[in-house]
Amino acid sequence: MSDPVSLTDHPVREASSTPPAPGRSRHLSDRWLTVAFISPALLLLLAMSVFPLLWALYLSFTDYSATRGGPATFVWFENFTAILTSAQVHMRAFTTLLYVVGAVTLQTVLGFSIAYLISRRVRGRGVLTTLFLVPMMLSPVVVGLFWRFMLDAQFGVINSMLGSLGLGQVEWLTKQNTALISLIVVDTWQWTPFIMLIALAGLTAVPKYLYEAASIDRASEWFRFRTITLPLVWPLLLIAVLFRAIEAFRLFDLVYILTSGGPGVSTETLSFHVYKVAFLGFNTGTASAYGILMVLIVIVLAQLYMRYLNKLKED
Amino acid sequence: MRYPKRIGLLATAVMLVATTVVACGGDEGTNASAPKAPADIPALTNDPLTLSFIWFDWPPAKALEAFANAEYTKQRSNVTIKVNVVPNANWHDAMFTQFAARKTDFDIPILDSQHIGEAVTNGNILDITDFVKKNIEVDAYNPYLLAAYGQFPQAETGQRDENASLYGLPLLGDTWTMIYRKDLIGETPPATWDEMIAAAQKCQTENPGVSGLAFHQANGSDAAAVTYNTVNGVYGGNLWDSKSRKIEGVINDAAGQEAMDVLVNKMKPLTAAGSGNWFIDEVNAAVAQGKACIAFNWIAASGGLLDPEQSTLGKTREEILGKLGFATLPKQKTDLVPLGGMGMHVSAYSSPEKQAEALNFMKWFEQADVQKKWAAAGGVPARTDALQSPEFLNAGPFNKVYADSVSRMRDMWNVPEYARLIDIENTNVNAALNGAKDPKTALNDIAKEQQAVLDSAGKKGGGGL
Repeated sequence: MSDPVSLTDHPVREASSTPPAPGRSRHLSDRWLTVAFISPALLLLLAMSVFPLLWALYLSFTDYSATRGGPATFVWFENFTAILTSAQVHMRAFTTLLYVVGAVTLQTVLGFSIAYLISRRVRGRGVLTTLFLVPMMLSPVVVGLFWRFMLDAQFGVINSMLGSLGLGQVEWLTKQNTALISLIVVDTWQWTPFIMLIALAGLTAVPKYLYEAASIDRASEWFRFRTITLPLVWPLLLIAVLFRAIEAFRLFDLVYILTSGGPGVSTETLSFHVYKVAFLGFNTGTASAYGILMVLIVIVLAQLYMRYLNKLKED
Repeated sequence: MRYPKRIGLLATAVMLVATTVVACGGDEGTNASAPKAPADIPALTNDPLTLSFIWFDWPPAKALEAFANAEYTKQRSNVTIKVNVVPNANWHDAMFTQFAARKTDFDIPILDSQHIGEAVTNGNILDITDFVKKNIEVDAYNPYLLAAYGQFPQAETGQRDENASLYGLPLLGDTWTMIYRKDLIGETPPATWDEMIAAAQKCQTENPGVSGLAFHQANGSDAAAVTYNTVNGVYGGNLWDSKSRKIEGVINDAAGQEAMDVLVNKMKPLTAAGSGNWFIDEVNAAVAQGKACIAFNWIAASGGLLDPEQSTLGKTREEILGKLGFATLPKQKTDLVPLGGMGMHVSAYSSPEKQAEALNFMKWFEQADVQKKWAAAGGVPARTDALQSPEFLNAGPFNKVYADSVSRMRDMWNVPEYARLIDIENTNVNAALNGAKDPKTALNDIAKEQQAVLDSAGKKGGGGL
């Protein structure tokens, strides 16, 4: 029997020195086989992700327009300066911030609450969890379309219900103060299950003996929640919040279907604005710079957030 | 052993370079002017061929496909006509993203008249001036219709520049019709805009649950902008001074401000709650369900109003017509009405066989007898003889409205910056209609932002924000 330690110390060298199996070409070593198997995926990744990103980076320094064609002239940082100093962009950034904070906060509170309630239920937990996950499985376009019908001021079921309760009609999608709230509500309806699922995983992983010890000490329900449940689930919940915040930051589909950015531009998010810059005026260079800046913002914020998470873990 | 690692790196670099070359290789957009179509139609193929159009999803698209497959194939049995449709809000993007790729899956793009400037300056459609001279009876058309759907630079209202190039031919004429409830406001339609508002107000007061007016207010496409442009025209305003390319101080002059005030403060209060995102379908639904006294909509989209299956106004077409009237728009300081409709063009990226077939189709379609058949099939022709034919005038109660409106039409700006200009106007008018901006600020913002777009044409960097 060979020594297992020596094998794990140099696994690659051991594998590459293995002679080809009978029937395999002498030139087809394990290394070449590895390259052959990885190449298709690598090619796909290069063509679909790496190249477009690098190309967008190049275009972001030019005044290129996809429809006008012609050579791309370098304008260096002019696109970036114009975007960062534009009042139109600042307005969309504020709308996006409001949306992200509103939607993610609501989803976190609701998602965790539902997960907490489900985790305490012994019977039917699986069925309940599955039912709660249904909205997450739907396409955002489908969700947007049926909510658009439900929120219609004249014929929608929501106003019909409000009417039967003796309350007045609400113009959900056409008034400045309700349109953004409607977007947050619809996004919350669809994505609360995501937070719930991760919170549920965290809650299930809390060791039972901690609760048993707390019970012996006659700790109150609130004390147990505050000192055992929340601290142990918190890091996992924060990761869920990070995922949701990144998703919410690039919201496009719900805005497109529900409000088209209106009334006026009051629900136009950054992604929706990039779409307009890219496809209405076909200012490809500016749109590329806009997209690159959005990616950079997400990367920087995510890095800061991850540092906080690591610090939390160390503590 | 480092050799395979180097090979891997080299292969990655080669793949990246190859991808770049492939991606950049197709960029032939250095020549931004429309290529010319031949004066004579080249030899047509006898092999099976599908001639593809692109339009937005509405009844005339279905009517065109059915009509062309029934009639054109009598002459060209190897040809199948396919009218591809996209949602209205995606119409411009669907065509111009393909133009940007220099490859189109359509042969005949149906462009809104305002899209022509963008397509011509980018070299996306063929210059058919010579073809038209040789094959089309230009004298058979109202000159403005021929110019509006094909000429670039843009025609002034009601005029055609005989020396300008043509890039398209009329496919479907259109304008707004006023739809009014004869049973609620009487048989005679209001003659002036003020009378119309007064009639709508009275009707709304006398009929609880029925709103006085229904019109386009949505944020997408050109919905809210066309509504403002119509009121602007009727109250004597102008959208711009095309010669000096001046918008600031023109659209927001006293007439423009009055038009915005009428729209937001007199017309909007007569609409249904939550109608701030209504477009063609929603206005039609309100009329069909008896929820509006007076409505404004495109004629080409009004056919469904007479369908008893879609209406609560009657069980037969005659019963519905007993309650619904169609009239030309009321006049006020001027009698202008919005020009709608579209022309057909030939994609510069189509194969030579399909371009030849497209030209042949256009020649066939613009013949007098075919235009009359198109009118009978539900289309709105552009030839004067077809417009005055019984086939057209008897095909629908709104067709006479179109024939009477032709001399009153006004279009928007037909410039390469159209998509951005319309978005600025649309979002600001929508904001004013829904209380997100006060009307005066909205109009001044339109003027300022649109002027900035025109002034920044050709500016390097940061465009489009």
